[in-house]
Amino acid sequence: MISRIRYTFREMWASLSRNLTLTAAAVITSTVSLFLFGGTLLIQRAFDNQLKKWTGGVEMIVYVNHGATPDKVELIRKALLAETSTVETVDYCDETCSAGIAATLFATDPGALEQLLPNIPSLFKVKPVDTSSSALLRSLKTQFESLPSVHSVETPDEAVDLLSQLKDFFGVRTLVLSVVLLGASALLIWNTIRTAMFARRREIEVMKLVGATNWFIRLPFMLEGLLQGIVGATMGSAALLFVNDNWTSGVRGFPDNSGLKSFVVTDGFPLWVCFWMVILGAFVGAVGSATAASRFLDV
Amino acid sequence: MIRLENVTKSYSTEVTALRDANFDIAKGEFVFMVGPSGSGKSTMLRLMNRQERPEKGAVWVAGRNINDMPDSKVPHLRRNIGNIFQDYKLLANKTVFENIAFALEVIGKPRHVIRQQVPAVLELVGLGGKQERFPHQLSGGEQQRVSIARAFVNRPLILLADEPTGNLDPATGEGIMRLLDRINKTGTTVVMATHDQRIVNMMRKRVIQFDRGVIVRDQARGVYE
Repeated sequence: MISRIRYTFREMWASLSRNLTLTAAAVITSTVSLFLFGGTLLIQRAFDNQLKKWTGGVEMIVYVNHGATPDKVELIRKALLAETSTVETVDYCDETCSAGIAATLFATDPGALEQLLPNIPSLFKVKPVDTSSSALLRSLKTQFESLPSVHSVETPDEAVDLLSQLKDFFGVRTLVLSVVLLGASALLIWNTIRTAMFARRREIEVMKLVGATNWFIRLPFMLEGLLQGIVGATMGSAALLFVNDNWTSGVRGFPDNSGLKSFVVTDGFPLWVCFWMVILGAFVGAVGSATAASRFLDV
Repeated sequence: MIRLENVTKSYSTEVTALRDANFDIAKGEFVFMVGPSGSGKSTMLRLMNRQERPEKGAVWVAGRNINDMPDSKVPHLRRNIGNIFQDYKLLANKTVFENIAFALEVIGKPRHVIRQQVPAVLELVGLGGKQERFPHQLSGGEQQRVSIARAFVNRPLILLADEPTGNLDPATGEGIMRLLDRINKTGTTVVMATHDQRIVNMMRKRVIQFDRGVIVRDQARGVYE
């Protein structure tokens, strides 16, 4: 048994070093494809985090006509609170409170503030139950705009839509690209093994004639492919962790109101992705090499 | 040891390599297969170690019909059959010792057995002090001796030799034949395809003659005609 194991590893190493350029090409392709695959998962997770952050702070603003009487304000509050299945909280901000907010927002534009203050509306801050659905936000907007004494309703539905659209756009394209590259790396590993077998056809012929089993002949080639897949995945994982760290520390320096501070993945998710990248790399390598080794080895 | 029953082998509709071949080879026999190029000699050897399968008939080796043998059992059959070739088929990047050890290693023999058997077989073929040389450092005759050593190191029941003297000068060829004769005397069945008239006439062993895939003569202590 020990002599077989020694033989298998020795032959695998000999084959790897003999086909150095092809091996390097297969490893690099695996690295790039698995890096993209892992990158896709991280980008999608970052979009999720960003969406969660945005939608976590999403509030609808229901502006009340300037000078609305307390009765009318109370009517609006009741109408909003009646929507128990769609509305989570309702906070009222009277005209003085609104003026305070306006003073903060227009601190650098006293002219605009001066024009706004005489007609400043009071407002309700409404937090919907499901903040990630732009359709729900739009339907609530239409519903609340029809209430008496409501001036207008503002919702961040367009921003939520944009983020979801971006997530789908990048997610699908990067996933397709990484799957295509994964296929390419499997083919390249397949080709490397095929070339390795061709280079050693005389040895294989002798092995078959002296009674080596097909499995004995195949195993070093299969291990070679497996190793190429694992090395490619490990390099891809290292690159992914490096890029993710770099991105995270870069984004941390952005201002709070940039809207991108949550476009990062900082939990254990990247390590989990790397684990699956290595499994996938090993699988692709093993499948590519096993297919080649079986196809080019007749009894 | 080897029996062929009505064996026919074709490579295409136009090329029939063997037609209705029948013969028995007993254990310990030395048999020459003679005939011109393309007469079916090499095909016969390839049928005996299951490199080829016949369209019709049965090939029996050591009591088993090897046509019906599952592919997984073929390596075990081949461990009982040594093969010698005209072009030696030595591995250029391995030393003499490694070439022979390779044949044992790939069938899972442990290292201590290899270390014991390889020098012994090298002594048998007369290459005692040359185990560290590479094939290109040896003469044609010596390379063929390495090839014989590799085929015989596992002590097979049968040796199949396909034109083993084809690339050698007459004197070296005679030396190889003496070596094969010695191996045959240990009880190993030797089947040799050749069209070396001088060697066949010198050895006076059984001769099976082929002509366009048909056995036209099977003669004990025969000569080349």
